[in-house]
Amino acid sequence: LAHGNGGRLMREIIEEIFAFHLGQQELDTAADAVRLPLDTGSDEWMITTDGFTVEPLEFPGGDVGSLAVHGTVNDLAVSGAVPRFLSLNVFIEEGLDIAILGRIVASMARACADCGVRVLAGDTKVVRRGQGGGLYLATTGIGRRRPGVDLGLHRVRPGDRVIVSGPVGDHGAAVLLAREQFGLSGNLRSDAGSVLPIADILLGFPGLRFMRDPTRGGVATVSHEIARAVGATVRLIERDVPVRPEVRSVCEILGYDPYYLACEGRVVAVVDAAAATDALAALHRGGFPEASIAGTIEAGAPRVVLKTSLGGERILPELEDDPLPRIC
Amino acid sequence: MRTAQRIEVRGRVQGVGFRPFVCRLAREFDLDGWVRNRGGGVEIHAEGEPAAIERLIDALVSRAPPLADPQPPVRRPAEFGGCAGFEILLSDSGDETPVHVPPDHFVCPDCLDEMRDPAARRCRYPFINCTQCGPRYTLIDRLPYDRPNTAMADFPLCEDCRREYEDIHDRRYHAQPLACPRCGPVLEFREPSACVAIPGNEPALSGCIEALRQGQVVAVKGVGGYHLLCDARSDAAVGRLRERKRRPDKPLAVLIPWFEGEGIDWLVRLAEPRPEERDLLASPLRPIVIVKRAAESDLSGLIAPGLDEIGLMYPYSPLHHLLAGDYGAPLVATSANLSDEPVLTDGAEVERRLAHVADAFLHHDRPIRRPADDSVYRRSAGSMRPLRLGRGTAPLEMRLRYPVAEPTLALGADLKNTIALAFEDRAVVSPHLGNLGAPRSLDVFEQLIRELSALYGIEPKRVVCDAHPDYFSSRWARACGLEIHRVLHHHAHASALYGEFGPDGDILVFAWDGTGFGGDGTLWGGETLLGRPGGWRRVGSLRPFRLIGGEKASAEPWRCGLAACWEAGLDWSGCPVDPAPYRHVWERGINSPYTSSAGRLFDAAAALLGTTLNQSHEGQAGMRLEALAGDTADFIELPARRENGLYRADWSPLLPALMEGSQPAGYRSALLHTSLAHAVLAQARAIRGESGVNLAGLTGGVFQNRILAELTADLLRADGFEVVLPASLPVNDAAIAYGQLVETAGAGRAPSPA
Ligand SMILES: [Fe+3]
Ligand SMILES: [Mg+2]
Ligand SMILES: [Zn+2]
Ligand SMILES: [Zn+2]
Repeated sequence: LAHGNGGRLMREIIEEIFAFHLGQQELDTAADAVRLPLDTGSDEWMITTDGFTVEPLEFPGGDVGSLAVHGTVNDLAVSGAVPRFLSLNVFIEEGLDIAILGRIVASMARACADCGVRVLAGDTKVVRRGQGGGLYLATTGIGRRRPGVDLGLHRVRPGDRVIVSGPVGDHGAAVLLAREQFGLSGNLRSDAGSVLPIADILLGFPGLRFMRDPTRGGVATVSHEIARAVGATVRLIERDVPVRPEVRSVCEILGYDPYYLACEGRVVAVVDAAAATDALAALHRGGFPEASIAGTIEAGAPRVVLKTSLGGERILPELEDDPLPRIC
Repeated sequence: MRTAQRIEVRGRVQGVGFRPFVCRLAREFDLDGWVRNRGGGVEIHAEGEPAAIERLIDALVSRAPPLADPQPPVRRPAEFGGCAGFEILLSDSGDETPVHVPPDHFVCPDCLDEMRDPAARRCRYPFINCTQCGPRYTLIDRLPYDRPNTAMADFPLCEDCRREYEDIHDRRYHAQPLACPRCGPVLEFREPSACVAIPGNEPALSGCIEALRQGQVVAVKGVGGYHLLCDARSDAAVGRLRERKRRPDKPLAVLIPWFEGEGIDWLVRLAEPRPEERDLLASPLRPIVIVKRAAESDLSGLIAPGLDEIGLMYPYSPLHHLLAGDYGAPLVATSANLSDEPVLTDGAEVERRLAHVADAFLHHDRPIRRPADDSVYRRSAGSMRPLRLGRGTAPLEMRLRYPVAEPTLALGADLKNTIALAFEDRAVVSPHLGNLGAPRSLDVFEQLIRELSALYGIEPKRVVCDAHPDYFSSRWARACGLEIHRVLHHHAHASALYGEFGPDGDILVFAWDGTGFGGDGTLWGGETLLGRPGGWRRVGSLRPFRLIGGEKASAEPWRCGLAACWEAGLDWSGCPVDPAPYRHVWERGINSPYTSSAGRLFDAAAALLGTTLNQSHEGQAGMRLEALAGDTADFIELPARRENGLYRADWSPLLPALMEGSQPAGYRSALLHTSLAHAVLAQARAIRGESGVNLAGLTGGVFQNRILAELTADLLRADGFEVVLPASLPVNDAAIAYGQLVETAGAGRAPSPA
């Protein structure tokens, strides 16, 4: 791909790739602004935005395109909204293989169709070689808030249970393996995907307090957000946090904790203790057989504690940028 | 002519029977006047013949009660008031000078005799004590040290006890933990799984002894926390304890009956103690002492697998005397806790958290206010040296050569953590807290910060923490809101050593340990520092290698073995795993920081020798190597490359020799020790040549290795160096908190070394 001076090449890219894949009637690539077809009435609307970079751009189980759709859709989903519309910003690095771009945008289109969202507006820029990691995407999502849903950390209480919707760390481990080309990737795939079906199931339980998709920083980091906001201890039980053997063995080699690895298709939910078993059963029935009650919220110092399979307890500290061993 | 003097004695003189002792002296020397507690010390007004007053002043120190630790008295002439008789005045309340909190003390010989006297009303009473013995630190809620301010507040004295408490001539005069079977704490034996609950001292004791005889593991509440006890001769019992506690290898301490009157001296049956080890075992500190085990004994081989030493301990409390005596044989006595956290102190918590470890529980109803693990000592380089501060030794008072400008709290390191509080020229070091990565450790850490401040009446104005940003203690420091000083880990090691000896000039310190955050952002570990507190310069180090998988490398020495080999351009045929993925990790440096660690170098060596590929506790590989090492004068010369003003000892010539399977492992291990000792000597000589500094110090956890410490010290001394090693504080990270204080107090005072 050559320079991005807004000339013919750029127009061709937009028309041939973006308009081709994402070209519903609403995506008018020629317009400066489009009408937002919001229903009126008592509906409340929610908006979220996020940027996406990943290396490599394509990895087992996904790519940056589907990630850009799912990431924003999932943020709306865990907030209790039904995602409807997206906007899209694209930053392409000079030299990016057009074929890759085509695959990524096609994948994006599939993800949109799966999630029932439409891209209404977009923009594309080309940045100079060496100034971008191939392709950066940014999406803004608009969704309709489901009536009567009240979710948030303010509703979390000691005694509540923490539900994890599936094995953790798949995305982080898969991307790491793809990036570092270990040659032992096996069949490890990213969990990247929409969490709408999970949210749908959990939202059926009035005891649901809070949901979050544990992306960067993983389950441990979401747990820290909960601990800090609630002023309580989040206790995770090692045995009950599902981790795939492949992820475990990557972590074993690298000395990483799977609880800090990103997920892109999981939900961490806090549920009233009385509703926890029913909610879990519903998840199991609904196609998420690996969902698990992974821990509890307990009165105590705001920290995250892991009860290990060996019977000990260790603190999962807040993630540092560049952690160094503490051992002495 | 009778004159008057006002005498002030500071040091540890409160709560230790010092005032009654002064009264007795006064009577002996025919003096009138009074004595009272004042601030941190006692104040004496003595009237009488000048010579008699001199004799009193002399005796205050020379004949001080065993628990007391008085500093030289300060006196000034006073107005003669014509006092009649000598009396104890009430405490001079309202003054705010800080005090001393005594450590917990063993049961004194007087009480022991009384406990064994069938006619005494405290015969076989597990909580007998007097002013010269019993719990202190673990009992005190707040000061002044009076019974209502202790865990004994809920035990009103019976008439007999009150009489003793109020009689100045009685050795229980104002003994705050005073108790008897009528009014004091009582034992209860419980076996929850069998719904057994036996209250009452004698029935509970027999229940406990019976359970032990059946090979059960019993959690027993002591002075500073619970112990797990089981028969030390039974492989089945010890194996069960290890299995349940998930502690496969770490040595277990053994409690042996006090031999006086027992007929059998278990000490010499189990071990080959030297006189100084024997003395320390029997001393009032009653620590665990690590001694050479006897070639033949009926102790279970599972007590200290792979080692030629065992940790022994005599009973320290009346309860332990009764248990060990009634059982009549050695018992494993290991701290009741999970992994590396402070010993558990609360009965309900012990039953909940150790439900799967202990079969039964021996509780009592005297609360433990804060934990104190057993202290541990080991002989090294000519002295008995502490490896762990705890019951009997802590809180430990240290002097600061330079007073701190304002009250300062030092948070120590993250493993083997202790904390320390400094005010004026005093530093108070806490007992061992353990690994702050465990929630209970962090809870006790915070509790102790609050309580040390309250006990000493000192509000810290700033904190000192390790420079490592990820330490739990550093995180705590950032959140506490006080001004923060950060001290490099190895600077703290060096300053702690300096603080103990306080030479006038510079010192050359070899601070060898696992890892510590270094000034250049890398992980230091085998460092040579020149200078003094506030002015250290790193002048030597070891060749760095990668820790493959970061912290994981400390649990899996084979990772260190691999990385050391690859660093040296060698392959390791004995590697227990497929090295290919690790090679990739190593080459890309993923979570594999470089370190000049000496501890990890020992791990690498243990792996290459094939003795320890994985370790379940820190230091296991090094301990095993030390136990294995034979005797040899051979060594391999390690080149010292000069690199940016730094002598880098290159260990790579050692690797082929370590992997040389045709040589016995004992010889190869010895070679490692001798070669490293010679590498220290080579660095020391080179640096002495440039700086003229002839005083060398050895510190850091790696010098817990006695062979390395002694070889190195001998080589240095033979070359004319004066050599010092930590004596009052452990050589390991337990000294970091104190070192942080010395470093902070020294900052700004030290000239930069040449
Ligand atoms: Fe250290
Ligand atoms: Mg997001
Ligand atoms: Zn006594
Ligand atoms: Zn009594």
